[in-house]
Amino acid sequence: MSGAVAIFRRELSGLFFQPLAWVLLFLALLFNGYLFTYYVQATEGDVTEAMLLSLGQALPFWGVLCVLAPLITMRMISEESRNGVLEFLLTAPVTDAAVVAGKLLAATFFFAVLWSSVPLYGLVIDLLGTSPDWGQLLTAYAGSVLLSAFFCALGLFASTLTSTPALAAFLAFLLNIGFLLLPLLKRVLVGVVSEDLLEAAVAKVDVMTRFQSSFMVGALDTGHLVFFLAWTGALLFATVRLLETRRWS
Amino acid sequence: MIDARDLTKTFGAHTAVDDISFRLEQGEVVGFLGPNGAGKTTTMRMLTGYLPATRGTIRVGGFDVLRESMQVRRRLGYLPENVPLYREYRVEEMLLFQARLHRMSKADAKRRCGEVLEQVGLTDRRRSRIGDLSRGLRQRAGLAVALLPNPDVLILDEPTSGLDPIQRLEVRALIRDLAAQHTVLLSSHILAEVEAVCPRVIILAEGRIAADGTPERLVSELGGGGHVRFEAVVGDAAVAREILESLPGVSRVEDDGRLGIHHQFDVYGSEDLREDVGALSAAKGWAIRELSWRQPTLEQLFARIALGLDKEAQLPSDRPVVTAPAADEPVKLVYNLDPFAGGAERPLDAPVDAAAAKKPAAPTLNPFENFGQSAPAAPPKPAGPTLNPFENFGRPAPSEDDPNRDVGGEG
Repeated sequence: MSGAVAIFRRELSGLFFQPLAWVLLFLALLFNGYLFTYYVQATEGDVTEAMLLSLGQALPFWGVLCVLAPLITMRMISEESRNGVLEFLLTAPVTDAAVVAGKLLAATFFFAVLWSSVPLYGLVIDLLGTSPDWGQLLTAYAGSVLLSAFFCALGLFASTLTSTPALAAFLAFLLNIGFLLLPLLKRVLVGVVSEDLLEAAVAKVDVMTRFQSSFMVGALDTGHLVFFLAWTGALLFATVRLLETRRWS
Repeated sequence: MIDARDLTKTFGAHTAVDDISFRLEQGEVVGFLGPNGAGKTTTMRMLTGYLPATRGTIRVGGFDVLRESMQVRRRLGYLPENVPLYREYRVEEMLLFQARLHRMSKADAKRRCGEVLEQVGLTDRRRSRIGDLSRGLRQRAGLAVALLPNPDVLILDEPTSGLDPIQRLEVRALIRDLAAQHTVLLSSHILAEVEAVCPRVIILAEGRIAADGTPERLVSELGGGGHVRFEAVVGDAAVAREILESLPGVSRVEDDGRLGIHHQFDVYGSEDLREDVGALSAAKGWAIRELSWRQPTLEQLFARIALGLDKEAQLPSDRPVVTAPAADEPVKLVYNLDPFAGGAERPLDAPVDAAAAKKPAAPTLNPFENFGQSAPAAPPKPAGPTLNPFENFGRPAPSEDDPNRDVGGEG
């Protein structure tokens, strides 16, 4: 655990020592801020609704996530494997899992910072007089961080596949889009597979609907919690194994 | 401390390391020597647990590298060849990161940081970014990182590659200092370095251990003995050679030709004959310019092993081999070495060292011996360096290459 924390701290400093994270943060916050003012107008002043829209109810949120997560995670493993730092880490007294977990934590932390802008808007608006539904808002925020962890895990997985960061980012982007589009299979496979089976299968991969029907409505359902944690965990496991295959190849 | 047994590593069809075994005791400093691709780095990676061996076991400090990986990693400092460090970190930050990986307490980390920075001489650069450091300084920073947890075993892959000669000397001195507290295994393809630092050398060639022992032993076992280089004003070279050959213990003398007014001879014999040759020339009144003991260096041995040259194999020698006079030839002069005899020549009925005199000079084992020299009746080698890089191949390096050799001290 302490190994993962050491890696987490190192990755955070790695992220924020470089301009990329700051530039992305700046652009995303600008975009977020613009969207929020737009949502507030569109919902005619329903602050809670506008915030939920910013945190996953509307598509731009998913767009930002799909683009940023690969960009944040692309270098984390691929570049280290190229410049040899991975050799240093994998011979240091930390487990491979701790290395990957630390990196995932750091990437997730970046998104936690990014999405925290929305509760911050809420705080400002609260001070000005209109109180949003804090319970729902914070649940949505926690959910969006959890969701970010999932996408970052996908990004890390892609980063392990190649030693070229740009390629890793592109791969991760494709994986993200693919994952979000998986529920469309329901329409493609209609008639081929039984309806019930299809429904059940899609429910296992439908990130967006799950997210919007749980965290967004302010319900902390352990089933949904486990769904996200399990997917993230599975991706982490795959990443660790993939990292290990480098040694055997 | 390190016990590697029957280590084999294959990458697909390619066998990088082929069934090697070796042991390192505590406090030993051992040099891994071999040309590129001999399997040095692969072996080191297996020792650190970064690569698992295809076959064989490795124990470091009694722990199995694969099964008890964490215990091994805690006891092991590893500096890979390309010195992987976070470029955006300052030296100090990198050290603190390493301390956190090794779960050192804050106070411990601070103290060790100061110590290792002092040890590698980077105290004044502790605030520099690693990316801004020169190659040599970065190498030292890497060494500091490897040293920080005070590991029992240090594995250094080419620790001096890319350094300038002064930095190289410094790193060598540093490694020698480390020997007291750590078991050190370092690899290099620079022989002078390994000779200077390591009391024991393991030569790897094509994934196998070609030789293992002290440099001196390797040189004497694999390279044969040395010879005396003698350069003096001798008047008649042929006569001088004959006199030299008559010295007890001399098996053959090579006339290397005239250099200005001086004549150069290589006197081969069973042992170091410098004193005898010196006494002889003092008695004869020859003005000596050089009288030195030349031994084949590890470098030449290494080249021989690295090139896969068998000891027995040699190209047909078309150069006349200088042989000692045959027994039936009358021996004219035998020199008296008694300092009180005034060096008087006296004819003797029998050669002093009949056995040595009878024995024809052994053909040299070096196929490159005659490289660059053409005809059998070749004129004496012109003085001064030629453009042929192989000219001195297999022969003792000229003194300007290796000044340490002549002063007799280790470098």
